Amino acid sequence: MNGPHPSALGYLWHHHRPALIGFALVLVIALAFAVRLTLFTIYWSDPAHRNQPIEGWMTPGYVAQSYDVDPDVIRALLTPQPELRPSTHPTLERIAEAEGIALPDLIAQIEAAINAVRGE
Amino acid sequence: MTETILALVPIYGLALIAIGTLLSCLALPIPSSLIMLSAGGFAAAGDLVLWQAGAAALGGAILGDQLGYQAGRLGGRLFSGRRLTPQRAALMAKAGAYVQERGAMAVFLSRWLVSPLGPYVNFASGAARLDWARFSRAAIMGEMVWVTIYIGLGAVFADDILALADLLGSVSGLLAALALAGALGLWLKAALHHRQQRETSR
Repeated sequence: MNGPHPSALGYLWHHHRPALIGFALVLVIALAFAVRLTLFTIYWSDPAHRNQPIEGWMTPGYVAQSYDVDPDVIRALLTPQPELRPSTHPTLERIAEAEGIALPDLIAQIEAAINAVRGE
Repeated sequence: MTETILALVPIYGLALIAIGTLLSCLALPIPSSLIMLSAGGFAAAGDLVLWQAGAAALGGAILGDQLGYQAGRLGGRLFSGRRLTPQRAALMAKAGAYVQERGAMAVFLSRWLVSPLGPYVNFASGAARLDWARFSRAAIMGEMVWVTIYIGLGAVFADDILALADLLGSVSGLLAALALAGALGLWLKAALHHRQQRETSR
């Protein structure tokens, strides 16, 4: 049956090549996304990975929310800086810069304060 | 890269959210999902106001869709000046009718379910002259779903926005690839059907 007539795949290859190549390509892309999704699901289902450490992009409010402590616990640590109006919602990185201390030191201070509150 | 973007959201706030969603509707590589998720997260933390973040994202997205549609319309007009063979003109008319019939649903779903395809659907809708009111209605409804999902998830799971960004990015990429595979699969199936018909009529 396949003799004089090319196979379905052969026919498509000769007459609809761009569509066939595109079809194969999007299947490969779909497979890649499926693998990516599986890997991310495995990675993020580990609770240790979800316990995000304090980082420079976070705001004091975000840290308080994330660690479930009163925002005042963190605010009490920070010296008010005139150039950082609260309305601009500065990140920890900017706060450390304005206070003239290193970001890791500020993060360590906040961690200590959170641990102290939790220890009570 | 991710941290840089996250740090910009509380500082530039609503303007960044609106510009982010606007540009992402024009096929520019803006991580708008991450921006919206973090906007929800910062809103939960009290750094942004939830409804304002939502309104900014929605406004930017609606404007971006309109710009994409108009760009497609302009591009389509430049091409339509070319003379067409009768067969090709018939094919174009058929495609145009199909777009009018099914286009609004494609616009709606490509806002949120298969969002990576959104910008291209904008250009295509304009080029194929999908009725503007229909396009706008479907686009606005779709963007409302998109913004609600991403900002809502960001606000509810503020602690897990990085995980959400990774997972939602993979899911929407997978769905978009499968949607394209489905469309191309139907095309190829129709081509084979066409060949079979010709052979039996011979």
